Amino acid sequence: MTDTAPTVWELPPKPTNRARIALIIGAIVTFTTLTCLPAIGGVELDFASLVDNWRNGARLGREFLQPDLSFLPRTYRPMLETLQMAVVGAGVAAVLSVPLTLWAARQTNPRLATRQPVRFTINVVRAVPDLVYATVLVAVIGVGPLPGLITLILFDIGIVVKLVSEAIDAGEHPYMEAGMAAGGTQAQVNRGVVLAQSWPFFTNQWLYVLELNVRISAILGVVGAGGIGRLISERRAFFAYDDVGAIVLEILVVVIVIELFSNLVRRRLT
Amino acid sequence: MIVDEKAAPLGVSIPTPPSRLGQTAAAVVVGAVLLASAADLDIDWGEVWSIPGQIQRYGQLMFTDPDWERLPRALFETWRSISMAWLGAILCVVLSIPLGMLAAHGVGPTWLRLTLRAVFAVIRAVPEVIIALLLLTVTGFTPLTGMLALGIAGIGTQAKWVYEAVESIDDGAPEAVVAAGGAIAELARWALWPAVAPALTSFALYRFEINIRTSAVLGLIGAGGIGSMLTNYTNFRQWNTVGMLLVVVITATMIIDAISGRIRRRILEGAKQ
Amino acid sequence: MTDQHEVGPGADVSSPTSWSIHLNNVSVTYPNGTTALRNVSLDIPAGEMVSIVGLSGSGKSTLIRVMNGLVPVTTGTVAVGPHEVTHLRGRQLRQLRGHIGMIFQGFNLAERTSVFRNVMVGRFADTPTYRTLLGVSSERDRDLVFAGLDSVGMLDKVWTRASDLSGGQKQRVAIARALAQGPSVMLADEPVASLDPPTAHSVMNDLRHINGERGLTVLVNLHLIDLAQQYTTRMIGLRAGEIVFDGPAAEATESNFEHIYGRPIKSNDKLAN
Repeated sequence: MTDTAPTVWELPPKPTNRARIALIIGAIVTFTTLTCLPAIGGVELDFASLVDNWRNGARLGREFLQPDLSFLPRTYRPMLETLQMAVVGAGVAAVLSVPLTLWAARQTNPRLATRQPVRFTINVVRAVPDLVYATVLVAVIGVGPLPGLITLILFDIGIVVKLVSEAIDAGEHPYMEAGMAAGGTQAQVNRGVVLAQSWPFFTNQWLYVLELNVRISAILGVVGAGGIGRLISERRAFFAYDDVGAIVLEILVVVIVIELFSNLVRRRLT
Repeated sequence: MIVDEKAAPLGVSIPTPPSRLGQTAAAVVVGAVLLASAADLDIDWGEVWSIPGQIQRYGQLMFTDPDWERLPRALFETWRSISMAWLGAILCVVLSIPLGMLAAHGVGPTWLRLTLRAVFAVIRAVPEVIIALLLLTVTGFTPLTGMLALGIAGIGTQAKWVYEAVESIDDGAPEAVVAAGGAIAELARWALWPAVAPALTSFALYRFEINIRTSAVLGLIGAGGIGSMLTNYTNFRQWNTVGMLLVVVITATMIIDAISGRIRRRILEGAKQ
Repeated sequence: MTDQHEVGPGADVSSPTSWSIHLNNVSVTYPNGTTALRNVSLDIPAGEMVSIVGLSGSGKSTLIRVMNGLVPVTTGTVAVGPHEVTHLRGRQLRQLRGHIGMIFQGFNLAERTSVFRNVMVGRFADTPTYRTLLGVSSERDRDLVFAGLDSVGMLDKVWTRASDLSGGQKQRVAIARALAQGPSVMLADEPVASLDPPTAHSVMNDLRHINGERGLTVLVNLHLIDLAQQYTTRMIGLRAGEIVFDGPAAEATESNFEHIYGRPIKSNDKLAN
């Protein structure tokens, strides 16, 4: 290699979005900074106290990882209640979700005046976190599984109606034209053929919310809405982390079993 | 429709309909399980009919004259929840991207991949609130620990989305990098990242949307934010304040969902070009 | 494997009255601005078998759909039998549609469900909505479904899932669906465009048979010249929304077709070669 002058290349101008990228990064940084200011409600990043507490935590963590399995018999009744809530909640939600979904999808309900209120209500219902429902309902109805059940039903309907109505609207339904040409009403076409065609969407979401329900109903008891949550809360307050570990292990097993069952049913249905 | 009423019978053989026994049996079992579960629950089913009336009454208590005087404090606490959600999402994404990439096929060694996936599955199976509750007890009931809880509890799902996204890209670019002698870090930077960046950004925003709801829930169990305000005023039975708080929560969530949803759509549309 | 099934009275639909069709200065402009039909006037006496020929975009689809009101007319009137289609709404429109059977290029069957339920769609107009919602069909409805299937030779497939059928079989089921209505008019929108030549001939034969045996007025949209000439008596040529030919199908010459298509005849304008 001889000692020549460096080559000068004639390059085409490099396309950059410099300005746009800078803007986006700027926005993100600003937003993040604002979230760290306790004065306006941001999070106070006090990592020192965090480190202190972790030493405490190490001890509890060790207890947690050595669950006290002899505690399990005390968990059976509450766990059963958790499962019952999950199952009944999913079942009721499944039944109610069918007419609501058909109302909410554009292809099965061309009338905007009846569709918009349903969609808006569903969006509002979905905007409320599950435990918020549970907290308010417990204050209204009282402690027990009923507020938890209602919470699950509302939560499930929000999910199923939104997802299935979107799936229906995203698809093509040419057979609907045949039904209308034969002189059927929208309701007849929906019940007679659309439902059969959309059935897989429904069953898929129903199984999904069943799985979700088990995990959610396990914690509803923390605010008094039934299930094993109350026991978790109680044991934790006594710092009996080995008991808590046992309960969490039990929940894990149940969740995995339900997931396996759900996958089995899914495969049988398709 | 005009049909000849006294027409001759068809008189042909119609095939037997297929047996519906399996379907009917399944329906009976499902029905039985539902009824048995419902019966065994500690619910006074007779009282259920009064529920709509009660809800209507409380609805009126909450929403006919919401307590707007406390709105500034509610907004303050809402920003606290949003901050928890945002920082928690950042933490979750920062942790789950490298971990998720390592857990994808063709990136790291098999033992690492399986271990990571098992850890993710466990974190995913345990309800977020329980993870949060345990963390909060150890590290204290503050928004900071709320953020930590959100960051860690979300890893299970977030990392799964990451490795699923990585596995769904074409093998061309990663193969090329490995062939040129690249290590895992280079593989990630030059082949994986450009391909999955839009999807991962979209997932990050979605994690933020999920966190908004979870941060309200963490507030309910004591981490601060709008949830804690909600618990307090519900316990005090101050329904007009509760009504105002619910309106704030619903509005804030719907607005953030809408904005975040729009940004996500634009990202994915940009990626398709 | 089969039942002997005595089908009761009222199951024979071989003698509904056949209807005529009159279009008077019909124009159709879609909301997006395209004009599909311009001042079309047409008189089709009851019992005639007519083909409508033209390029795609000539207005064939629109023309056939104004007859049962699937497409609303912008100006002009449409009369089918004793009914003025253009003025009908709601229940009356549905009742009219019950008298008009229609089959489509894409068959328009519900693929995931049985042939039986697909043909039962033809009974919608005659069944009160609540019965359909409850899922109960009357004995007479069932008889009509079986009779319709039998007349197209598909009775043995009555319980088969629609997606398991071949194209020709699906179109036959569609014809059975139309026949189950007990119609006075049969409309066919490109019924054989998706079928291979032997099947296409077979389906066209069925349509001709329906026209001959039952005396129904039959209108068929076609883009294949030889099928139009072989199976229909009268041919209407559409070009850019206007009728440019109306006469006996057998007497149409090549130059007539070139006039209708606005270009020389190509080999794929004919089915057989």
